[in-house]
Order: sequence, then structure tokens, then C-alpha cells
Amino acid sequence: MKRYLKLSITAVLILAVVALIYPPYSRWARDHVNKITATTDHPVRCGSCHLYLQKPGFISKLVNAEYHSPFNLAVSEDGRSLYVVAEESNKLLVVDRESRKITHEIGVGVRPHSIVIDRGGKTAYVSNQWSDNVSVVDLASFHVKEALKTGNGPAGIGLSKDEQSLFVVNSFSSDISVIDLKTSSERKRLTAGNNPTGLQSSPDRSMVYITSRRTLSKPFDDTIRCELTILSDGKQRISARKDIISAYMMENIAFTPSGDLALMPVVRPKNNVPTIQIERGWMMTGGIAVIEMKPEGRIAQLLLDEPNAYYADPFDISVTPDGKTAFVSHAGSDCISVVDIDAVREIIAGSTDELLEQYAHHLGISSRFVIKRIPTGANPKGLAISPDGKELYVAEHLDDRIGIVSTETLEMKERIDLGGPRRTTVNRRGRQLLNNAGGTFQNQYSCFTCHPDGHEDGLVYNMASKDMGRNMTNTQSLRNIGDTPPYKWNGKNQTVYKQDGMRFSTVLTRNEPFSYRDLDALTAYIMTGIPNPPNLLYNPAGELTDAQKRGKMIFERTHDFAGFEIPVSNRCVTCHPAPFFTNLQMVGVGTLAASDDSILFDTPHLNNIFASPPYLHDGRAATLEEIWTIYGKTEEHGAVNDLTKIQLNELIEYLKSLRDPDYEDGSNKTLKAAFGNK
Amino acid sequence: MRISRISIIYLFIVFIICLSFTVVGCTKVRSGMLIATEASLSSFTQDGVTDPGRYISGSRIIAIDPGKPSKIRVLTGDFYSAAYPEISYDGKQIIFSAQKKQGDTWQIWEMSLKNLRCRQLTFLRENCTDPAYLPGGKMVFSKLTVNDTVGTAHCLYTGNIDGSDIRQITFSPCDNFATQVLKDGRLLTVSRQLLPQKNNAMLAVMRPDGTKSDMFYMNKGKSIMASDPRESVDGRIIFLETTGNNSPGGFPASVTYNRPLHSRIDLSAGEEEFKSVLPVTSDRYLVSYRKSGSDRFALYEFNAETKTTGRLVFSDPEYDILDVTVAEPYERPKKLPSEVDLQVKTGLLLCQDVNFTGFKSKADTPGLIEARLIEVMGPDSTYGTVRVEEDGSFQLKILADKPFRIRTLDEKGQTLSGPCAWMWMRPNERRGCVGCHEDPETVPVNRVSLAVKKPPVIIPVHITTIKEKTVELE
Repeated sequence: MKRYLKLSITAVLILAVVALIYPPYSRWARDHVNKITATTDHPVRCGSCHLYLQKPGFISKLVNAEYHSPFNLAVSEDGRSLYVVAEESNKLLVVDRESRKITHEIGVGVRPHSIVIDRGGKTAYVSNQWSDNVSVVDLASFHVKEALKTGNGPAGIGLSKDEQSLFVVNSFSSDISVIDLKTSSERKRLTAGNNPTGLQSSPDRSMVYITSRRTLSKPFDDTIRCELTILSDGKQRISARKDIISAYMMENIAFTPSGDLALMPVVRPKNNVPTIQIERGWMMTGGIAVIEMKPEGRIAQLLLDEPNAYYADPFDISVTPDGKTAFVSHAGSDCISVVDIDAVREIIAGSTDELLEQYAHHLGISSRFVIKRIPTGANPKGLAISPDGKELYVAEHLDDRIGIVSTETLEMKERIDLGGPRRTTVNRRGRQLLNNAGGTFQNQYSCFTCHPDGHEDGLVYNMASKDMGRNMTNTQSLRNIGDTPPYKWNGKNQTVYKQDGMRFSTVLTRNEPFSYRDLDALTAYIMTGIPNPPNLLYNPAGELTDAQKRGKMIFERTHDFAGFEIPVSNRCVTCHPAPFFTNLQMVGVGTLAASDDSILFDTPHLNNIFASPPYLHDGRAATLEEIWTIYGKTEEHGAVNDLTKIQLNELIEYLKSLRDPDYEDGSNKTLKAAFGNK
Repeated sequence: MRISRISIIYLFIVFIICLSFTVVGCTKVRSGMLIATEASLSSFTQDGVTDPGRYISGSRIIAIDPGKPSKIRVLTGDFYSAAYPEISYDGKQIIFSAQKKQGDTWQIWEMSLKNLRCRQLTFLRENCTDPAYLPGGKMVFSKLTVNDTVGTAHCLYTGNIDGSDIRQITFSPCDNFATQVLKDGRLLTVSRQLLPQKNNAMLAVMRPDGTKSDMFYMNKGKSIMASDPRESVDGRIIFLETTGNNSPGGFPASVTYNRPLHSRIDLSAGEEEFKSVLPVTSDRYLVSYRKSGSDRFALYEFNAETKTTGRLVFSDPEYDILDVTVAEPYERPKKLPSEVDLQVKTGLLLCQDVNFTGFKSKADTPGLIEARLIEVMGPDSTYGTVRVEEDGSFQLKILADKPFRIRTLDEKGQTLSGPCAWMWMRPNERRGCVGCHEDPETVPVNRVSLAVKKPPVIIPVHITTIKEKTVELE
């Protein structure tokens, strides 16, 4: 009896304490969540922020996982092996086609991108985008023999016809390294388009074609152009540069075996058009550019989209050995478009230039040459066809699998599990959402479309926030923005939750907003899962050059060179203090255009600023220099008028050296791996 | 003592289980049952207040067990007339239009399929018909509307499922019937222009707030019959067409959702004796069909691949089956956000180039006169003439919720083309078009139109300023 009484009294006391604490705690928790998410009905779940938004550390390790994320792949000449570039695990995976098992995992550099195998099948070359080198892999011993130094951000890769040279596309420095394989050193560097990534030799191996992602620098409202660079294999010189009009994000290129056509997936943005609707292709369309390889050959662009269905982020293209069929992977729509190449030939042969220009704007043209759409796993990227042409291999990037499509039945027949983690973490789910167009009306575009690799696409958009011709805005990067709220140029969104919540769905996706579960995942990924690459181009080891040091002094100065004090509000370092080089405040720097409303701007961070042209809120400054030489003469954006040209250059050199604070303390794993792989 | 406690717990559990079975067993309409509208077409009385072809006095809603089609259950025995039920997403309710007593107007009702209890949702003076569920606890329906804006037309309205917050969303002199909600969240409705002349009906699509209204499909040779268009699991829209020869039936046809204007498949094999079509699987449909004019419309299976009717599922010697649906849960359509702000009085319309009409080369049309002006016309007066920019573009700020049409004029004011179909702008709507009468499958050219570099022209032109809330969407 006494025991029961004690238990009862204890229970009652506990209940009383809970009853006292719970209401105020509940109110506090509600207010706290409302403030963080800028909503009023987000579920009160502590884990949403306190588990999944953790910086790298013990908790982050527990809740996250390391995936392979297959990006590109190649097939051995005998078709028995698949060589899969695992972007996230920094490996080259060798997969036995028969057993569907991974036979070897070879550690390569950081963020491997592409692979090419020599004719004998003895050596593979893997470009490492965040290590600035190429891993040379011996396919007999499955070891990395050496690392070849390249330019910044090596991506697409190919061997010369005589296999004495290696061509490497440097996506960050926008050039091409020609590497002598005998001496293992770079022989020359050639300028390519802006942010080039894809590389493919013509069937006769006489020419090498390099595709670009970003457009050539042009003012807003000019016609956008993206460069296709053509390199002579024998002379190893640039042979031609072709402008692909009104297109960008040309990730890859493929040729018909006869060499009569080159085919290139493209995205055709409508950034010059006010973003007032999605219906009828008013935001983004995607298709293929078809280049006639004959002299005076034309370049046509045919949309792959349909009037009520869009296929976002076309990435790779592969052509069957018989030259009849091409496959295009749509990374944003989890499918592959099957293209009848003969139908494409017929369309082009029978069309005037004017008609072809119309076809580039017609959503019905795909019905004449797209045979089928094949569903795939999440975020299909690289494609490869088996030597006998019977199988198409698809790197299902965010499912850690290789899909195998029968080119005869045009059906997905099996999948190879690469053995990544079984669970889909919250962060991974967020990454899948960012890369998938399913959140946008009719799947027209994904977050990736304007923020490729979590960065920005270099375009200025007419966001039509109030009136149609006002307030143009330059796309901002999503890399490592977790610590730099508020968001958007006008600083209206205090949190990423708010940025991607209801207003986002009303203005941009025009679709049902993300569920809170998905919004949590997307936020977790954006806040913690998109790091900056190391700044290997301008500041690889944290040791500034002399010019950069002088530039730093100018950046941090309190007095000009005449000895006059610079007002605190006009010192660079006031608004752009380390480590993120933003004071997170709203400010006006005399950069309002006539078409802008009178607002202040959220001070942008400057980490890896070299990689984000154009500059200023409306992208009017094509380079960092132009911020002051053309648009900063009023001294409202820092005191620079006393600088000589050389001093301004040094300031710019310093700005270019700015890198993510995660790399500053020298212990960063990525940076160590980047250097360790050299 | 212990045994007693265990017995009590055991009996309690058994009681709960029995109660559950009882409740389940008492569900009046089980999942999978067919819910049909039937009426006697031969005894139809023309009361003149509803579309005679669709809403029939004395119609009723019945539940049919496909396994025991001889036993039906009349769900609306307490109503004088009831018709065209739509199932809720969870498969547990139906929404329909009904007359409680003879002479009553048709109003919207909801019924629980579990216990057949009904509640009235609308209490309006005019007939309210063709309801459908919208995500987020809302509904859409047609209502006879008589005013200067639309004349006399069945406009679309939305409201909360409890009948509150009823709002008009279409504002043109067009009848809109048989509205369905597509998986993408938009409304698909059978729409027919009434003024200045009656046109053939077409399938129109719009967002649930009435914005972005557009043609979805039309067949110049035929009219779309006022019968529910249905979206199949394999991405086709199935509907009925009619030649308008006074037959109560129509021809089934389908188009793809992806490319409706150029994907029509004729399913009829020449027969115009269908009253409704319901896709069950990608190739198996349920149709209301009769073999000849003297037969009653009955329920049959239909093979979409062979285009043939098959097994008779249900027939009633005294009634014609007008429509059928299945009482089962289905995937909820997307809940689309709304850009409408009722504190804003206007909408913005941008046209890229009035002289763009599609795949026509200037070389193919020598001497083509370019439009320099447009006239914006209301139902009974002009709203004004506006000069277009050098590149053919214009940007208008138009009073919201008013129907208008546009025609293009040459420099002398002579009509070159148009007027186009009726349009309206919802408050704060922004909308764009590529040209005038352009191919609807054309996307805009990526260029900055001259018209957006200036403030928009206010329509009607006699208005110089409008005081309204300024909305910043971003």
C-alpha cells in the first residue's frame, strides 16, 4: 500500500511539473520554429535543424552518409567491364558486367569527373575536378601510376589520335590543357569557351570538340551565346569557335559514326523574358543542337520538350554504333529520351534556315524524332553504350546505381547496385530534390538548372517581381551559404526555409510547395551539403603571392594613399570582413539601375568570388575590374579612385584569392586530398 | 482475481474488434463500387434553366456493386434530382449537384459514402452544377451567372468545401461545364463561347484561381460534348465529341496530356452513341453506351486498343446511365499556389510580337502588312486602341475580372486579324503570349521586348491612374 502511494504521489508530482513547464515551453518552441523557418505551421521537430543542419562533426557523421554518386562511365573494349567515376567517394569503380559486382575500387583525386581509356585498354585517365590533375590508372594492376597536373577544374578528357597527348578541359579556368604523355607534362594551354566541360573527338579523330556550360559574356538583353570550341587534333590548335545561339549548359557532345552529325544536349533559357509564367515554355526549354559536319553545315536546335511536359537538364548523349539512335539523359527528369537520328536528318534536310529557327522554339517538334522516354533512377548523368550496341549504361548519380537499358526493347532491363549506403539520408534526399524538376510545374526546370553544381549559371534574369521590366537579378551561388543570411539580393528571405517555401512556389516553381519533410531535406542540403571547391587557381595553399598581399593591404586599409582617412562605411573590410567577407547587412553602393526599385542590397559574401561572374546585383559588371573601372566611379562602393591601375589589379588579385573559410585552417580533408593526389 | 482481470481485458479487446467489424460492415458504399447517374432521357422535361443535354429532372445517383450488378442502391432517394457525383481523394465522399424538391435550383451537396449522410454546400439563387473537389479542402463548380460582364453564362466558381468563400474565377461570356481537376492541379473544363456568336465547345484549361486560362484542345470539325473529360493513368485525356446533330450521345476520343492539339485518337469507330467514358486502366474503359437510338444508355466495358465495346456491366430498363465513376481513393492533384491578390485591381499582359502568327516565312507572305496598333474590346464597347512597339510587342495593365478581346490594326486602323478569343486577367495576374493566333506550341524568343522597358499601358485607355496595392512577388 505504501509503495503504491509513493508511486502515485511521484506520478502526480511529475505530471504537475510537466503541466507547469509544457505550455510555456510549447509556446517558446513554436515561436522559435516560426522564427527559424519564417512560417507559422512548420512542425516543431528539433531534429530538422539540430540534427540535420550540423556542420561537419560527430553528429553530422552520424546522420549523413558517404555515397559513391556515379557521374560518368566508360566500357571496356570487350564489354566485360564498366569503369564508373564515383564523384562523391573519389574513386574509380571497376564493375564486372557479368557478375554485376565491383571488382576494384581505385582511389583517385577529389571530385573525379570523366574518364577515357586508351585503345589497348591498359590505361585509364580520370580527371579530378577538385584536384587539378588527372589520375593515370593502370588497368592491369588497378593502381594509380601517376597524377598529371592540369589547369583548374579538369572535366572532359580525351586522347589524341596517336595517343601521345591527352586533352583535358579545365572547367574552372576555361581552357584546355594539352598534356604530353611521354613527358607527363603540360605542353600547351588553349582558351576554350566559358566553363567548358565536355570533350569528344570526331569519328575520324581529326578534330576535338569541346562544349561549354556558361555563356560568353554579354550584357543583359543581348542574345546569349555559348561556345563550341573545335581543336585540331594534329596541330593541337584551336581550329574554330562556333557560337551556339540562345543556348547554354552544353555538357557533352556525341557524333554519328559516319561523322555527318554532331549532337549536343542544350538548355535554352528564357532569362530575357519576364518570369511571369511557366506554361508554354516561358522559363526554360531543353533540346539538342545538331551540327552538320559538312562545309557550311548548319547548326539546328530541336527541342526535346513537349507542350505540357518538359525534360529538364539534358546532360549526356550517346549514339548507337549503327548511327540510328541517340540517347539523351535528362538529369532533372529522371529519364532518357530516345532519338531517331534518321528523323532528325530528315527534319534538317527538309527545312529552311527560317524553319529551323522556328523549330528551336516549337514544343511539338520532338514528336517527330523522339521515339520514347525511358524512366531511370535519380539524376541520370553519364551514358555509355556497349561495344555491340545492345546495352546502354546509365550512371544513376543520386541512386548509386548503374542502369542498364536494352537498346532493342528500349526498356530498363536491370540495375547494378554500387553498394552505397542503403539509407537515403535527409541530406541526400535534399540533394535529390535540388536536382529534380518534379517540384516545378510540368517539370520544366530544377534548382540545378539555374544553380548547376549548387553554384550559379552566370545569367541575369528578369524576375518580374513587381513590374515586368524592373529589378533584373544575377543568379547567386548556393555554395556554403548556411552562415550568410539573409538571402536574395534584396535580403528579403531571412532563412533558406523561407527562400524555398511558399513564396518560392508562387513565384518560381508555380507548383505545389514542398512538403515540410522535403523542405527540411532541401534546406539541410543547401545549408550544409554544397561546399565551395578549393581555390586551387589563385590560392592553393593559403600563401598569398606578393601581389595578393599588397591587394590585401588595400582591401583592409583605413586611409587612402594620400593619407586621408577613408570613412568606416566605405572601407572594403567594413562590409566584407572575413571569414565570409560579408557583414550580413543591407547596404547601398550606388549601383541602382534606372530599372531598379530604390532598395538596399544584402552584402554578398566573397568566398570563391573569382568563379561567379558577372558581378553586381544585375550582372552588369562582366569582370571584377568593371565593378570599379566602369560602375564604381562615384566611390560609393569602396574608395578606389586613388588607386593606380596596378594597385587596382592587385586588389583584384587579392579578391580572386578569397576562398571558403573551411579551407583556411589547413586541416580540411578536401584540400589535403587535393594536394595529396598530386 | 488475476484470471478476472485477464478475462475483462480479453472481452474488451473482442468487443473493440467486433465494433470495428460492425462499423466497417455498415459502410454503405464500399470501395470499388460504381457510382452512376441515371435518368430517363425519354421523360426529360425542358425546364430551360440547365443545359438540357446534361442535367435532367428526376435523375438520381446509384451505387452498383460490379460483382452483383442486379442489386443497386439508390443513394439520393431523398432528392428530386441528383447527378454527376465526383469522388473525394480518399474515396469516402461524393460531391454532386441536386434539386432537393421539384422546382428547386440545383445546388451542390456532399454525401458520406460511409453512412450516406448529406450536407448542402451551396445556398445560392442560381443553379450550381458540375462540382469537383480541389486540393486543400476546396471545390469548383459551375454557376449560372447573369450580369453585364458575362451576359448569361455558366461561369466557374471555387469555394471552401464547407460552402464558404465562394469566388468567381471565370469572367468571359462562355459556358463552362463538366470541370475536372487534372493531376497537375489545373482545371479542365468544357468551354463554349456564347457571344458574339456561339462557337463549338472546346476543352479549356486554367489554374484553380482562374489565371492562365488557355485552350487545351479543340476540334474544328466537332464540338466537345458536355461530358466529364477524364485523365487516364497513362497520361491521356478521354472525352466525347459531337457533331451537334441533336443526338444525346457523342464520339469518344482521346488526346495525350503532353501534346493535346496533335495527338487525337478517335475511339468511336464511327458510333455516336456514347454518353460518358471512364478510363479504368490504360486500355480498359467503362462507357455509357447504347447500341441504337431505341436502347437505353447502359454501362459497358470498352477496349481502347480495339475500340470495341465488350461486356455489359449494368443496365436499367427504366433509366439511361449518364455518367459513372468508381468509389475508390486516388492520387490527389497538385495544389497549385495562387498569384491572385484581390487588393490589386489589374493584371499585366505581355505580347512579344503581334505580327508573329507561327510558321510563316516573310518570303511566303509577300506584302504582309504589319500590325501597328491593337484594339482591346470589351463585350459591348471598346477599351481603347494602343500602339505596339517597333518589335511588335505590347504590355497592358488591364482591369481585372473583365472579359476582353484583342484585334490587330494597320496604321490606318483597319483590322488585320482578330478579334481573338475572350480573355480575362485576374487581379495581380501576369501573363504572356508569343504572338497573335500563334501556334500554341510556340515558346517565346529569349529577348527583351521593348514593351517591358516602359510602364504598361492602362486599359481601358481613358483611365490614367489606378490606385491599388503594389505587390512584390519576390
